[in-house]
Amino acid sequence: MYHIGSYIRGGAIIYRLDPRIKLAAVIVLSIVILAAKPLPSVFLGLALIILAFFSGIRLRTIAQAVKPLLFFIVLIFFVHALFTEGNAFLSITCFGLSLSRAGLSAGFLVTWQFLCLILAAVLLTMTSPPAQIIAAIKYYLYPLKLLRVPVDVIAVMIMLALRMMPVLLSEKERIEIAQRARGYNEKKSGFILRIKAFLSLTAAVLLGVFRRADELAVAMEARNYQQDTRTSFVELRMVSTDFIALFFLSVFFFIFIALNYCFG
Amino acid sequence: MISINNIYYRYEQEGIDALCGVSLEIQEGEHLSLIGPNGCGKTTLIQHLNALILPRQGKVIIDGLNTSDTENHIQIRSRVGMVFQNPENQIIGMTVEEDVAFGPENLQLPTAAIKERVAEALERVGILELAKRNVEHLSGGEKRLVAIAGVLAMRPRYIAFDEPTAFLDPAAAKRILKIIDKLNTENVGIIHITHNMDEAAMASRVVVINEGRVSMEGDPQDIFGKVDLLQEMGMQLPQVTELLIRLKLDGFPVRTDIVAMEDATEQIKLLVKTR
Repeated sequence: MYHIGSYIRGGAIIYRLDPRIKLAAVIVLSIVILAAKPLPSVFLGLALIILAFFSGIRLRTIAQAVKPLLFFIVLIFFVHALFTEGNAFLSITCFGLSLSRAGLSAGFLVTWQFLCLILAAVLLTMTSPPAQIIAAIKYYLYPLKLLRVPVDVIAVMIMLALRMMPVLLSEKERIEIAQRARGYNEKKSGFILRIKAFLSLTAAVLLGVFRRADELAVAMEARNYQQDTRTSFVELRMVSTDFIALFFLSVFFFIFIALNYCFG
Repeated sequence: MISINNIYYRYEQEGIDALCGVSLEIQEGEHLSLIGPNGCGKTTLIQHLNALILPRQGKVIIDGLNTSDTENHIQIRSRVGMVFQNPENQIIGMTVEEDVAFGPENLQLPTAAIKERVAEALERVGILELAKRNVEHLSGGEKRLVAIAGVLAMRPRYIAFDEPTAFLDPAAAKRILKIIDKLNTENVGIIHITHNMDEAAMASRVVVINEGRVSMEGDPQDIFGKVDLLQEMGMQLPQVTELLIRLKLDGFPVRTDIVAMEDATEQIKLLVKTR
């Protein structure tokens, strides 16, 4: 089962690229995605899907990454669809809301952009071991050290967040199974019972988080963790493939700006 | 040498005196088992060895370094490694090699040296092929091996294991015990907490902790010969010892101070021959 933030081993070129290039690409892509007009945005999404395909990432994995965010995606769509001004072709009188052609286009565009952002993030986290991503973040944040920003601490915090995310998700799944094993049936339960089950699930997961955090802190201390005084296992070194990727990324960026300008 | 001199420790919040005057010496290369009922202070005791907790009274000296002096902590933690009961809560990296590298990174070693140590540690526990794997995709036994490798990468002189075979299937438990035994032959001092008396019998010395005190100490034959005292504390005997005691109670002339399977087999063979 894939969770957001999980790294899956693979042999495609993207796996071997310097994480700094990949991180820069995701940042550039995020800006580009959010600035894109409808048609370039479609091309951008398709380009990402093709890239995912050539990286060996299956559609099912992408679906698994999107699934937990489905509620927000639907919410984003409806908020844009219903609150964007335009000539209404459907009115929901009791709530004073109206659905317009412009609203629908805005809803589809923002949802598509959001999906593209997720796909770009999945491409980065799935093809780069977390230590590499963290090393890249540290590299870009390094100048902030001059302003006494604890860059190393931030890097360790990101590492722990990435590590604990799948652990907590599986803990949540385990508690849900335990609830079902004791007769709880979500589909047949009433609203109050569902709220109660949700609260007990939240409490159990939260307690687990605190217990784990405590034990993890002790384990880190036992392995000599000291803030700000660590070296790194990851060696960042740009090779020819990285320079080629950087070149293509720049070309892509300028082509996109041109396309966005033409279709705008 | 690890020297524990008359230490006391109290969990203030719970109001529990976990250790009440424990004294113990552990030599480099020794294999020591710590046994005792739940809540008797075994885990608290080994956490003192790594300076994770400091004694309220008394001293813990690791190769001449006092754990109460915070300046010694980096050196102490490099000398004494800790393998906790639940590997899930001690694995920090997301891939096997990232996690094993965590300790050497903290020791501020250069990248090449870290890589060398990671490969060496993974090789020692026999999981070099798992180096790039996501820890989430490993079995419980494999996670335990990663935790051990993470400690080995710091090249400790002593390793404290807190129930290293708990919740493992027999094959995985056997693998862990084999590694512990191998480490001990490489002169790594082992401090092994266990509730499994067959595992405890593998050690060269067994220390029984009860209510925060050392209640017995000696070689496995001595300790497991004190059947009544152990049973009073609600503890079991190694299976082979228990079998021989039952045979003796039924009138068979067998020795009962035996803890190893091989010795027990010899006793039974002898019994069959004389009959």
